[in-house]
Amino acid sequence: MQTLDNLLFGLEVALTLQNIAYCFIGCLLGTLVGVLPGIGPVATVAMLLPFTFNLGPAPALIMLAGIYYGAQYGGSTTAILVNIPGESSAVVTTLDGHQMARKGRAGPALGIAAIGSFVAGCIATLVVAFFAPPLAEVAIKFGPPEYFSLMVFGLIAAVVLARGSVIKAIAMVCVGILLGLVGTDVNSGVIRYAFNLPELMDGIGFVALAMAFFGITDVVANLEETDQGDVYKERLGSVLPTLQDIRTCFWSIMRGTSLGSLLGILPGGGALLASFAAYMVEKKIAKPPRNFGEGDIRGVAAPESANNAGAQTSFIPMLTLGIPSNPTMALMIGALMIQGIQPGPQVMTERPELFWGLVASMWVGNLMLLVLNLPLIGVWVRLLAVPYRLLFPAIFVFCCIGVYTVDNKVFDIYVLAALTGVAYVLLKLDCEPAPLILGFILGPMMEEQMRRAMMINFGDITVFVRHPVSALFLAAAAILMLLIALPSLRAKREVALQE
Amino acid sequence: MRIWLIAAASSLALLTQPAVSQTYPSKPIHMLVPYAPGGVTDIAARIVGAKLTEAWGQQVVVENRPGGNGFIGMSAGAKGAPDGYTLTMATIGDVSINPVLFKEMPYNMERDFTSVGLVSDIPLVLAANSETPYKSVADVIAAAKAQPGRISVGSPGSGTINQIVIEWIGLETGTKFQHIPFKGGAPSAAAVAGGTIPLGVLASSSVAPHVKSGKIRVLAVTGAKPSKFNPQWPTLQSQGVKEVDASQWTLLLAPKGTPKAIVEKINTELVKILNMPDVKERFAAGGAETSPSTPAELDARMKTATAAFGNIVKRANIKPN
Repeated sequence: MQTLDNLLFGLEVALTLQNIAYCFIGCLLGTLVGVLPGIGPVATVAMLLPFTFNLGPAPALIMLAGIYYGAQYGGSTTAILVNIPGESSAVVTTLDGHQMARKGRAGPALGIAAIGSFVAGCIATLVVAFFAPPLAEVAIKFGPPEYFSLMVFGLIAAVVLARGSVIKAIAMVCVGILLGLVGTDVNSGVIRYAFNLPELMDGIGFVALAMAFFGITDVVANLEETDQGDVYKERLGSVLPTLQDIRTCFWSIMRGTSLGSLLGILPGGGALLASFAAYMVEKKIAKPPRNFGEGDIRGVAAPESANNAGAQTSFIPMLTLGIPSNPTMALMIGALMIQGIQPGPQVMTERPELFWGLVASMWVGNLMLLVLNLPLIGVWVRLLAVPYRLLFPAIFVFCCIGVYTVDNKVFDIYVLAALTGVAYVLLKLDCEPAPLILGFILGPMMEEQMRRAMMINFGDITVFVRHPVSALFLAAAAILMLLIALPSLRAKREVALQE
Repeated sequence: MRIWLIAAASSLALLTQPAVSQTYPSKPIHMLVPYAPGGVTDIAARIVGAKLTEAWGQQVVVENRPGGNGFIGMSAGAKGAPDGYTLTMATIGDVSINPVLFKEMPYNMERDFTSVGLVSDIPLVLAANSETPYKSVADVIAAAKAQPGRISVGSPGSGTINQIVIEWIGLETGTKFQHIPFKGGAPSAAAVAGGTIPLGVLASSSVAPHVKSGKIRVLAVTGAKPSKFNPQWPTLQSQGVKEVDASQWTLLLAPKGTPKAIVEKINTELVKILNMPDVKERFAAGGAETSPSTPAELDARMKTATAAFGNIVKRANIKPN
């Protein structure tokens, strides 16, 4: 009951005219910058930071949070329409979302993304409201061995993401890990594979990598097909998802939401793992007929719900531990610090108007985004009617601007160009980029956590099985590996028997 | 050639000094930050930048050039025209640690920069998880002496002032710690609070929320003087760890050859700003004390720190990159 009272109190804060206005500004700005593949939420929040000096902490945070999840919404729009994942969590959305767009089902894809996100947002808001303090406790007890084993599990699961050959998927995960190791090693401070270039000392930028492997390579591949006009087969198609679509997706949205809410509380890449995990689960347990990778609507619904739920629950480690899940959240912590608020376990009791106001505003914001986005879908879909010869240069330019604005570095555009070359070769070899991206993100984290665990335990490797949660993840990873290996083993045996 | 150019430019600058400082600033000023937005350095730049804009009626644009241990932003700052329109907000790491930690540096403090003034100071603390038996600095030292190299102490990263302090404590007390670097202040503080590691050398701002919730106990501040935020915390020096005196500071630099009159004009304004009550409050909110100084005082401080850190790096056998 206490929680309900608190939520009501939060709604009182969030529904003041001023806070509704800031929430709306945030959501609108977020959607806009999310849709423009060029400008990311980080640049937007950084520009607005001085402006928040003179707002109270609650309106400031409500607006910045609006930009954050607005951008998540907008990011899926570009992922579906033009195959550019603006944020790491949208990578999975490209897999089926863009295939749907190519088959003239961009509208339903965008619609189900919006609806799934809304449902997930509502449920995750309740999760934050009811379980924030115990969940923060979980996050703080999640040590290096647990993280390591979770990453192992994630990487093995990444193989399931691939449509084609398992061997190629494993190879791509490894290439991804190698690319991820460029830069300064956290544990020793040694700089690896940087060729003495200060620009590479912090590693290869994710945005450059994602745009190279998805956005630009996709353009190149499209241009190769002789008749260029045919990229989007039926251009417009239906605009909204049908009732049947929604019924098909209902359980996918629920599963995505629960995975997202759970993983979102882990500050180290949890929210990101959520969308991958949700997709993999759907691929294995959704009701047949399953045609994931070729435009299955559940392949959009599940990861989109997961990623929005994760975005919401990642506010738990941010507010209670001060640990950001991504650069946008790091900026929000900066904004809070300027206002004299130390994120920490006391935020809830010392600044209830801030905490509950934010929680309530998340729900209000999600509603606004739904209202804002559903009518806009028609506009976005019409974008596909623009002839491809006009569309692709625009994609090119926006990708370059986007890569540049991350750190204001021209160097990153060269990285984009070089990686596009690599990506093109891999495309020709029929190697899929999604496992590579997951390896790129999870690999370095896995290494960091493993070595940290070993350092703390002075080289005792049994620590990974002595911690129960860690042992559980490792066991799950082993089972998953068997599941992947079995079909090919069985196939081999059958071949052998036939002979 | 370059030296001649600088000499010529500065003598020219000397001749035209009064005029220059009267008309300065006549266009927007770029304040480079070698770190990502939202961090301590960025916040300092944005607070000071906003106040300079107010005072001079010229826009002060904060430009983030993160990456490469601050090398990218610092190199850009070093190459800026010496006319007062390019300033760099740097940290102790950029000016006094990296130069002794890296074999090859893309910039040289003496050759490329001139000091404008100190901006802020963040006290560091030696902190322990509340459930550990460490109640005082003496407990920690005794444990480390019993098992040299087996006591883990966390820091926000390799090559940070925090790591230097960990090595420094070891050197002064004749023992050694196991240094465990994390990625940033909040994750390392959470690791101590959650019991992943027993001890940490952390910014007082990072541990503050966990001290309030009772998960972390502060054993000492690492500066020579007690912190204004909590004068009850003892200093390491008063606990028998001689010599150790370190904190995380932020400072403002201009490219070498910037006319003295302009540097002085900026310094005067900076000192005025750092003494404003609302600015002090803003910095305090982020866990920092404002610490106005003259350019000469900053020079002296950097010199002392660089010498001390160079010595520690050598004695603790930290391998430079």
